[in-house]
Amino acid sequence: MTALSLTINGQAHGPIEVRDDLSMNDFLREVLGMTGTKFGCGAAQCLSCVVIVDQPDGSSVTNPTCVVPAVNFAGKTIRTVESHARDGKLTALQTAFIEHFAFQCGYCTAGFLNEGQVLLERLAAKRIPRAKLEQTILEALDGHLCRCTGYVRYHQAVRDVILADPARYLT
Amino acid sequence: MISVPRFSVKVLATAAMCLATSFLVLLSVRGIAASSSANTLAPPESFNTITNRRQRSVALFNELGKVIMSPRCTNCHSAGDRPRQGDSQRPHEPPVFRGADGMGLPAMRCNVCHQKSNYDPARMPGHEPWAMAPVEMTWEGKTLSQICVQIKDPKRNGGKSLAELVPHFGDDGLVGWGWSPGVGRTPAPGTQKQTKALVDAWVKSGAACP
Repeated sequence: MTALSLTINGQAHGPIEVRDDLSMNDFLREVLGMTGTKFGCGAAQCLSCVVIVDQPDGSSVTNPTCVVPAVNFAGKTIRTVESHARDGKLTALQTAFIEHFAFQCGYCTAGFLNEGQVLLERLAAKRIPRAKLEQTILEALDGHLCRCTGYVRYHQAVRDVILADPARYLT
Repeated sequence: MISVPRFSVKVLATAAMCLATSFLVLLSVRGIAASSSANTLAPPESFNTITNRRQRSVALFNELGKVIMSPRCTNCHSAGDRPRQGDSQRPHEPPVFRGADGMGLPAMRCNVCHQKSNYDPARMPGHEPWAMAPVEMTWEGKTLSQICVQIKDPKRNGGKSLAELVPHFGDDGLVGWGWSPGVGRTPAPGTQKQTKALVDAWVKSGAACP
């Protein structure tokens, strides 16, 4: 057992005693009741379970939760899908997902949303030429599986958000 | 009616004797100890019966080849920019790619899944660092002879001298993971200590290639 403390969506959690073999996904869903983070394949192959990890250097990455023990997140600052909308107001990315009808069952959406958000933040920190945008989006969303609508609509939605504010994301 | 050939006991015994003799000759030429199987490594001393220095060196490297050709090594010494996984050496899922530093693309770094140690509940292997071998060190699809030449070439082995290959095989942590790969993966043959002894003996015998 380990006493786990971490920050989730700006709120401190812990110390909470957890088994050392408890997955982060089970910790979020079963211990904290934060079911926005999905459990899909259980093998980091669909990435529906990713959360955002905020690094000390100000950058962020997504991290699968189904294949990583919760104790490995000790002391970290993470964001889950529940962090996006504020006071019931959706983000531009969430709105774009809806407008593009990017999802049907929605099981993969939390993962795509977190991945898209990290991409937006990465581009805001380091802008790229328009010519590299399509490949950059492809690489960012690569690995996330969707069985309903395919991938084009997610791609288009992310692209639209970026092109709506080119001065912020593009050189 | 089909006629079935019939052999005398004497003919069959002679044939069996010939087969056994051929097998023993083959073993002595290769210098492989009779106790060495696919999952074990013969100790360097067992090759001392090979008096020809070059042949002994080649035999040592052939034994070392059991480790080098193991999926635990070739999966990340894979050709191209995508590692392989599992004993079946299937392409890595999810699709991940080498990236500029061999540790993945910006949106999918190796260490987001492969953490400091194995996480057996999810059958996830781990070690810090976790990375693909550099592209000039790919082994997949090459013969043991080609790999041997490559391993000796400082331009394709990370600038290592022959002597420096010994601690790479024998003491490196990520290499050592190959013998502790967690559930669902077959460990590399033998032990890392035995492998180190074989590399050391191979280098001291002239580092000849098959």
